[in-house]
Amino acid sequence: MRLTGVCKTFGAHTAVDDLDLAIEPGTIYGLLGPNGSGKTTTIRMMMGILLPDGGSVELFGGAPDFGRRSRVGYLPEERGVYEKMKVLDQLVFFGEIRGLARSLARARAEKWLERLGLTEWASKKVQTLSKGMQQKVQFISTVLHDPELLILDEPFSGLDPINQDVLEEIVLEEKERGKTILFSTHLMEQAERLCERVCLISRARKVLDDDLKELKRRERTGVVAVEFDGEAPRIAWPEVLEVEQVGDAFHLSLDDGVRPEEILGAVLAEGVSLRRFELLEPRLHEIFVRHAGDPGDDDSVQPAGGAS
Amino acid sequence: MKQVWSVIRREYVERVKTRAFILSTLGMPLLMIGIMAVFGLVAFLSEQSERQIVLVDQSGQLGERVRQALDEAGYEVELAAPGTAAEELDQQVLDDELEAYILLDDATASEAVFHYRAKEPPGSVRSQLIRSAIVEEVVDMRLGQIEDGESVRRLFEGGSLEYEPVGLDEAEAEEAEAERISGMITGIAGGLILYIMMLAYGAQTLQSVLEEKQSRVVELVISSLRPWQLMLGKIVGVGAVGLTQVAIWIGCVALLAGLALPGLISAAPDLEELGQVRQYLPGPGAILLLLVFFLLGYFLYSSLFAAVGAMCKNLQEAGQAQTPLIIVIIVPFMMQMMTFQGNNMPWMNWVALFPFFSPIMMYPRAVMGDVPAWMVALSIVLMAVTVWGAAWVAGRIYKVGILSQGNRPNLRELLRWIREA
Repeated sequence: MRLTGVCKTFGAHTAVDDLDLAIEPGTIYGLLGPNGSGKTTTIRMMMGILLPDGGSVELFGGAPDFGRRSRVGYLPEERGVYEKMKVLDQLVFFGEIRGLARSLARARAEKWLERLGLTEWASKKVQTLSKGMQQKVQFISTVLHDPELLILDEPFSGLDPINQDVLEEIVLEEKERGKTILFSTHLMEQAERLCERVCLISRARKVLDDDLKELKRRERTGVVAVEFDGEAPRIAWPEVLEVEQVGDAFHLSLDDGVRPEEILGAVLAEGVSLRRFELLEPRLHEIFVRHAGDPGDDDSVQPAGGAS
Repeated sequence: MKQVWSVIRREYVERVKTRAFILSTLGMPLLMIGIMAVFGLVAFLSEQSERQIVLVDQSGQLGERVRQALDEAGYEVELAAPGTAAEELDQQVLDDELEAYILLDDATASEAVFHYRAKEPPGSVRSQLIRSAIVEEVVDMRLGQIEDGESVRRLFEGGSLEYEPVGLDEAEAEEAEAERISGMITGIAGGLILYIMMLAYGAQTLQSVLEEKQSRVVELVISSLRPWQLMLGKIVGVGAVGLTQVAIWIGCVALLAGLALPGLISAAPDLEELGQVRQYLPGPGAILLLLVFFLLGYFLYSSLFAAVGAMCKNLQEAGQAQTPLIIVIIVPFMMQMMTFQGNNMPWMNWVALFPFFSPIMMYPRAVMGDVPAWMVALSIVLMAVTVWGAAWVAGRIYKVGILSQGNRPNLRELLRWIREA
């Protein structure tokens, strides 16, 4: 999946502005950003639901035509289901239009329903299911045809923690099986746990696009957390600019150019017993806030057209 | 193509399973039988409860005849003793001892004017029955008094137009007459079926498209299907439901005529005349032609209904937007209804050639023989071309419409959709 210079405007509102993206096969890619930043619009352009005003979308090395799109599993943000159809019938239908034989679609659907604990709901109408269950059903219809690329738009929102875990597990499993996964979220913890690479969009523009480990190293702030068993020594080294006590731990902000090993040496020289010495990595949340502003502050960038 | 088949099956199975389908399939015939039964029953019951009548004869010559005639019409008639005073009976009516009595006097004997004395006017069935019984007796009596009475009576019966088909023997003439009646029945029933189906199943196509658009399911489906495939699948699926319904109705009639009727007649030979009904039923040719008109008409209207559904946001909007389409279906039906009442004019045949009117106007004309065969053939060709054009336009509107969440396009935007899709 590759986007090059993609733009999309709705009237006066620019939803996506000159976006470049490249997703490597076999990775989990997180599309992050506050609400209304253009994540869903981007995904809808990937799926050919919206046509970009400018730039190009490339899927499996070609135009996103029907043949290629059928190799994608797409979970839209707005959960579209045939409310009056029975759960199993619905899954079989979606399997069929994606090219599965009827019997195979049925067998797979039954297996997935069992895995997600929905077996007893198989012959119930979809409208009788709770929102969370409907979402699981829709997730099944996304993976039923065993697509090479999963595009999941906010897959975790609306699920309870247990089901979030189940879903995370499945996503990781699919990755192990060599599948590529792209998902959008505004939940940083999830992205942090799952993604290998993240792209941060804010106000229609790409702000960051990097390997997660690389990103964290680059964004490292030079803070070391230290915890001691027993009495803490007096911390007063010239390399340490600032000390902040957080519970039992001390967060030491190091001067530019000071390597953590030097501090470790200094601490050990004090002759105290050390319980923890950790180079603090910035949490994705902090990086996010630093680059995009508070993710909670999203009203100002909500598009008027409703096509977020 | 396999996917289109899946769409058709889904559309068909999900609809045939619904209570609405089962109810409307069974309901239509039951409703018709029910309406007729209720009308008959109401009239019968209302007259049944008040069958006693007192007759006062002041003419001195009609009393017994009228008593017999009313008796035959099913009334319990009590002929008042000669000389009974009307005032006495009036009092009984006022006291609610008697509901009504009939007073025959000299005016009755000469002009068949009689008096129905009661607090309430008679019901329509009752006044009809009583009047015809009495008038017939008076006419009989008067004609019996003059010479040549029989021929005067026939004159009063309105004479008769004796149709004598030239070049046909009697059997052939009878057959031609049966064919005419059969064409009439088939034409009326067929026109009605086409009209109802076009409206009902066109609207269902619209609804189906709109539902998918509103729930955004369409965005999922469209990632594995081309828009025209989805539209085709929907139209065919819904249409197959309509055909199933018509087939069930026609099958029921065939079953009744083919099995139930002979059985009934052999069980009750009195009813042998009912057997004649069979010669009025449509032949396979008429049914095949109905199928042709159904398919062409249905594809024509439902593809446009699908386009309307695709460009609207919700049912309210669609309700407005479909008005022109509904009018195009209702107008030909109205015009055809006028023709059924015997007002066919040759220029109407040309109106029926208009492709949007043909499905409903041309079929009845064809089976009733109102229109030459070449015109029927021409109208089928014109409709086929129009279907093709309408599907092309509708497909383009549909393609853009189902994925747009904005407001309903105006005419200029619509043209742009069609151009750019």
